[in-house]
Amino acid sequence: MITIDSLVKRRGSKEILSGIGFQARPGRVTGFLGPNGAGKSSTLRILLGLDRATSGTALINSVPFVQLRDPLATVGAMLDGSGAHRARTGRAHLRWVARSAGLPRARVDEVLDIVGLTSAASRRVGSYSLGMARRLGLAAALLGDPEILILDEPVNGLDPDGIRWIRTFLRQHAASGRTVLLSSHLMGELAETVDDVVVINEGKVVADGTLDEITGSHRTLEDAFFALTTGGAP
Amino acid sequence: MRALAAEASKLASLPTVWIAMAAGVLVPSVIAAITASSTRSTITRGAATVAGADTGYQELAFGVVGAITLGVVAISSEYSTESAESGGGRQITTSLTAVPARLRFLLAKISAVAIAAAVLAIIASGTTMGVIHVVLGEHAPAMGADDVPRLAGVVCYWVYTALLAFGITVLTRHGVIPLAVLIANTSVVTVTYLLTKITPLANYLPDMAGVRMFIRRLADNTAEISPLTGGLVMTAWVAVLLVIAAVAFTRRDA
Repeated sequence: MITIDSLVKRRGSKEILSGIGFQARPGRVTGFLGPNGAGKSSTLRILLGLDRATSGTALINSVPFVQLRDPLATVGAMLDGSGAHRARTGRAHLRWVARSAGLPRARVDEVLDIVGLTSAASRRVGSYSLGMARRLGLAAALLGDPEILILDEPVNGLDPDGIRWIRTFLRQHAASGRTVLLSSHLMGELAETVDDVVVINEGKVVADGTLDEITGSHRTLEDAFFALTTGGAP
Repeated sequence: MRALAAEASKLASLPTVWIAMAAGVLVPSVIAAITASSTRSTITRGAATVAGADTGYQELAFGVVGAITLGVVAISSEYSTESAESGGGRQITTSLTAVPARLRFLLAKISAVAIAAAVLAIIASGTTMGVIHVVLGEHAPAMGADDVPRLAGVVCYWVYTALLAFGITVLTRHGVIPLAVLIANTSVVTVTYLLTKITPLANYLPDMAGVRMFIRRLADNTAEISPLTGGLVMTAWVAVLLVIAAVAFTRRDA
């Protein structure tokens, strides 16, 4: 369970987040939607303890991320790119992450297989395409077999096969009672994947509900999104 | 311990770390080979009778560039950005989601750098002194009990220098400038040494004080600083810098 409450983030005189609050519940895929620059990544970075909130709280199972006893087994996170140094091989990257949580080497090969990166595991990350980099990022997130997945723009850079694969994967993950929170600015890709939708714009939540509630009278989620974020008529 | 194992694994899988290690061994060994052969011809010509007391140690003072590179890349690699095509991520986000406690992460990294620098210094001392003995043969200064604390001083100096480079790079979050400035200061333009010409206080800068742990005579320098005092002064510099780095690192956004 992810609980975010009254999150405010200021950088200098600029207010990036103005009281963001929502929940992501177990057994459901929660889509965190908004245009570029709306504050999605900032919210996720605060949730993961990377950035500090000016005020408000972002909790995972009722505690801040930095206080989790076994972070990798609780939360799998993927932010920009692969999160790996380009001079390392994909496998070497996953190995150090596994070591940090005391996971066996065999787990590295398992996650490489899950994301379909086994054949490229011995190549340096710098030679990866964006799609491969994202798969490596996802592999790192899955290492600890976490109960919660937090993914920033997971479909970004994936080919149609990859997008289809990640949709199925996330649906299965949620079906087994786990929590999935993913951000995106691409609505079309998400409508078939998410159960709940939180829409933010300019640092504020403008809609929060189930997929049906948010889509409402609009023809598609995409129409609803543009109506909510541009204030324009559907 | 898991965090330390992860940091050791990171260092071992980074090509620039191996370049730093190679430089740390080769630079002092090659300089030692060159200076020792010129010393040898001086002695055979009869212009001198024995090699100086700092033979080998002078070279090890230069070889610290390997330790500097190690300290810098250990942390700058966390902040180097992936290419825009592959998403523009940085490893620090992965590091801090794997080990979220900032101080624990930093201590693990400091420990890994210190251990690697110590190992490097021991190997470099062995090869450098070995080269001196091979080239000078019977004219090489005899190694005795006196050399044990001096060689320990070399290891200490390399570890401290790696940590100074590390601490500065934690603050800059970028490797190029600290690497260029620190390596230049060690080799091309020794700013800290030139400062000692202006004020005797410059003898207490970290590198000038630190080399006293194993160098007996600095050229054109009359300041008397014992090896122990030099070591303590450098310890203080390293401690203060690492505390500043830790405070900045734990407070700022990653």
